[in-house]
Amino acid sequence: MRASTRRLGARTGYYTTTTALAILFLFPLVWAGWASVKPTPGSGQTVGYGLGNFANLWNYGQGLPTYLLNSVVVAVLSVIGTVVVSTLGGYAFARFRFRGHDLLFLATLAILMVPYPTLLIPLYVLLGWLGLQNSLVGLALVLMMFQLPFAVFIMRNSFEAVPRELDEAAMLDGCSSFAVLTRILLHAVRPGLVTVGLFAFLASWSDFVVPLILISAPDKLPLPVAVVSMQQRVFGSIDYSVLEAGVVVLAVPCIFLFLVLQRGYVRGFMSGSLRG
Amino acid sequence: MSKLWPRFHCSRAALIGAAALATMASGIAGCDKSKEAKPSGNPDDGTKLTLWTRAATEAQSKLLVEAYNASHKNKVELTVVPTDNYAQKIATAAGGKALPDLFAADVIFAPNYTSKHLFLDITARIDALPFKDSLAPAHIKLGTYQGKKYAVPHTLDLSVLFWNKDLYAKAGLDPEKGPTTLKEMAEHAKKIQALGGDIAGTTMGGNCGGCGVFALWPSVWAAGGEVMNAEGTLATLDSKPVKDMLAIWRQLYADGIAQPGSKDEQGPTWVGRFQSGKVGVGPMPSTTLAMMDAAGLKVGVIAIPGPDGGQSTFVGGDVVGISATSTHVDAAWDFLAWSLSEVAQVEVLAKHKDLIARTDLTENKYSAADPRVVTTLKVIAQGRTPFALNFNQTFNDPQGPWLGTMRGALFGPDLDQALAEGNAKVTASLTQK
Amino acid sequence: MRRDRRRLVGMAYATPLAVIVAVLFLVPLGLVLWMSLHEWPLLGEPTLNLPDNYTAIAHNPLFFDAVWFTLTYTIIVTIVLFAAAFGLALLVQRHRPGVGLFRTAFFLPGAVGFATASLLFYGLLSRDLGPLNPILSALGVIDKPVSWISGSPKLAMGSSIGLVVWRFAGFNMLILLTGLQAIPEDVYEAARMDGAGRWQQFLRITLPLLRPTIALVLILMVTGSLLAFDQFYILTNGGPDNSTTSVVMVIVREAFTRFDLGSAAAVSVVVLATLILFNAMQLQMLRRGDRPEDR
Repeated sequence: MRASTRRLGARTGYYTTTTALAILFLFPLVWAGWASVKPTPGSGQTVGYGLGNFANLWNYGQGLPTYLLNSVVVAVLSVIGTVVVSTLGGYAFARFRFRGHDLLFLATLAILMVPYPTLLIPLYVLLGWLGLQNSLVGLALVLMMFQLPFAVFIMRNSFEAVPRELDEAAMLDGCSSFAVLTRILLHAVRPGLVTVGLFAFLASWSDFVVPLILISAPDKLPLPVAVVSMQQRVFGSIDYSVLEAGVVVLAVPCIFLFLVLQRGYVRGFMSGSLRG
Repeated sequence: MSKLWPRFHCSRAALIGAAALATMASGIAGCDKSKEAKPSGNPDDGTKLTLWTRAATEAQSKLLVEAYNASHKNKVELTVVPTDNYAQKIATAAGGKALPDLFAADVIFAPNYTSKHLFLDITARIDALPFKDSLAPAHIKLGTYQGKKYAVPHTLDLSVLFWNKDLYAKAGLDPEKGPTTLKEMAEHAKKIQALGGDIAGTTMGGNCGGCGVFALWPSVWAAGGEVMNAEGTLATLDSKPVKDMLAIWRQLYADGIAQPGSKDEQGPTWVGRFQSGKVGVGPMPSTTLAMMDAAGLKVGVIAIPGPDGGQSTFVGGDVVGISATSTHVDAAWDFLAWSLSEVAQVEVLAKHKDLIARTDLTENKYSAADPRVVTTLKVIAQGRTPFALNFNQTFNDPQGPWLGTMRGALFGPDLDQALAEGNAKVTASLTQK
Repeated sequence: MRRDRRRLVGMAYATPLAVIVAVLFLVPLGLVLWMSLHEWPLLGEPTLNLPDNYTAIAHNPLFFDAVWFTLTYTIIVTIVLFAAAFGLALLVQRHRPGVGLFRTAFFLPGAVGFATASLLFYGLLSRDLGPLNPILSALGVIDKPVSWISGSPKLAMGSSIGLVVWRFAGFNMLILLTGLQAIPEDVYEAARMDGAGRWQQFLRITLPLLRPTIALVLILMVTGSLLAFDQFYILTNGGPDNSTTSVVMVIVREAFTRFDLGSAAAVSVVVLATLILFNAMQLQMLRRGDRPEDR
């Protein structure tokens, strides 16, 4: 076989395989989208295709805008919190040696190793003590805590990848450590920041169990809890279509953010080959 | 940054940590005796109350709350919690000593909650009600623990037999007459199965413990049998009435008359199977009647029979009570008492085609309008709500022993053996501390 | 002196993290430990009952079955998920027209929360309601509807693994991708000049240089699988017949079905201790492969 034919064969093979896999991965989301608009008996859309299920979602309980707003507030708060805390912490781990350095890092990583249902009751009590029970701020703090292991890891690696010469040069010019951080390093680790922010957003936007337990006021519930409540009706009758509509509403902002920031976070992981 | 910081850092942090832990632990441990409400003349004084309910009960709770809020100064704020996570939320709130003022509970879980003192003792208040003897007795019984009453009925959900009149007509059966014995139901189902296609004779929740309890146990009671003793501490699943009933269902599955897919039904789509119009006859929750009508089905309703006759039902639904940590007891009781009043029962619930908790109001104009509702209400007298402290972990929980026993009896190699072994496990679970 | 000052500055930057970790994690964790030593009623005074909560674990048949299942599941899903993530990473690592779209497609499932994704799959794989059986029938792959979620223990585990791979392959693919892309091109170039074929390049260059990344991915996967909960709770209900009940499900059952908080805390402590031990070992291996003298 001539080399060019072989290459054509290989390339076709590649695209066929990869496209097939892509379809497989996209299928469930596409199905959710289709199921949310197709006619289903007993749902909000019984005849023909349309947005009946979305209408149900809009009108449910306190109304979709309320739930969306709560989700946005919680997500924004936890993103800001996660980015700030993990950046400062990552900077500390990468550039400084201090007492408790290793202990703090291990304690942060240990958050990954605890089954989250175990922490829910003590967290609930703790938030009550801090006066943050039933509040979006309290919820955002807890969600931020669960994000920290991954975020601190990424930021630490990002900072470690920046050559120390940069710091030293700036300090020779009389910059304090804070100035070094804000004026120079932050730009260098921007991909890491984007990654951390995006993952923190995804996690807190779509979390179900933590807000379910920590929030009781019906007007403070974020969207995922409302969607699950909506679909669990009288004994055994499940309104699947409204769940699919909820999935679509929840997924669309994520997909959008994702596509927009794609270049940012791929490089975010890349900053610094991942060391231990 | 103070030079003192690094020196005291470790020990101070440790002290603060220990203090925080100790305070938190003692705070949680400290028994919060529910504070007596300020004695106010009128309980309807503009208090804000919180009520939690399961998503499964949302419709009825919402109706009552809206009607109450519209006619009272007190305002009830309703929180709807996904049914499958309800126990988790209650447990967490209880652990944090922060239960809402009022919360509803699945009636069969009531003994668990009352034995853990989550509800406030309202014996005196209930006994002061003029209609106290007309409150659904099964619900009151389940809300009673060691002689004290803790909860009142909130919603009722009974298990009954639905049959699809169109499919009956097609199969040559009389569409106006439902089966009066379980064996007759099997016969009807067989004829409907013969229609072919994807039509099934009957259906059940084969992988759902709660469905099995709800749908199958009435046949045992109708035959005069028992599934366990009155205290809920000893199971009698290996008794003849239980075996007879399970043998019939086992045969239905073996012959393919019971919808094969329903063998793996975990519960969420159990009702949807009948709603699709593809099932001829089967046990269903009475509260889904309106849903079936809305789906365009012509449904007949009859009580669940025993193998050779008799009638019974599983009287399910919710009870509601005042939580032990509430600080607005008088206002909360005002809502509860109102929810049981004639106005609430008839003009709110019955009008909405829901079953009512007061046996002295069953002849109201709304319920009388639909003969099927009348049929259902009449069965309450022969219905039961089984009592057991560990009901959830034994019968409803997918990891509990009942589901394995039921499936072993229905689908396993040996029905008698499955019941003999399972019965011991169920008893052990019922008595587990 | 300067070093002291630098240490203080470092601590200052680490303080927000230390506060959050201490207050929101270590304190609740301490409480869990405390609770595991008591009979802890929902309302009312707890009473010390050491070591009853721990010894009761030995008498809990559900626990041991769950441990066995969780270990088996972890091994299987780690192999499958790793192969999937690595395969995908290899597919999309080189720049070609459209590779960005492919990367997005694989990562997109990460946009859905895991609890919601489990609910989604419940509908998708449903024997009578979902599209999978009709499609497979039409393609001639099956001739009868299959109960993917509860038909048999193997099917149930398979469905859960399918859900996990769908949801997390893209995420892990990305981590592996960056590791792959961090290997300089000239190393490959030099090897090619020495006559090394593609397979040899993969074995001698790619795999060794990728070791730290692989180790990280494995740690995340193994820890996540040992703590698996949502997919079994929501998708399979731990069934059929308790064949897919994981250890965390046992914890949740103790806490929220049996309302025995002390017992739940005790099992949690046992799980945590195991994981710490396990990850400490893994981190050792990771560190060893990463020291400059080992390269």
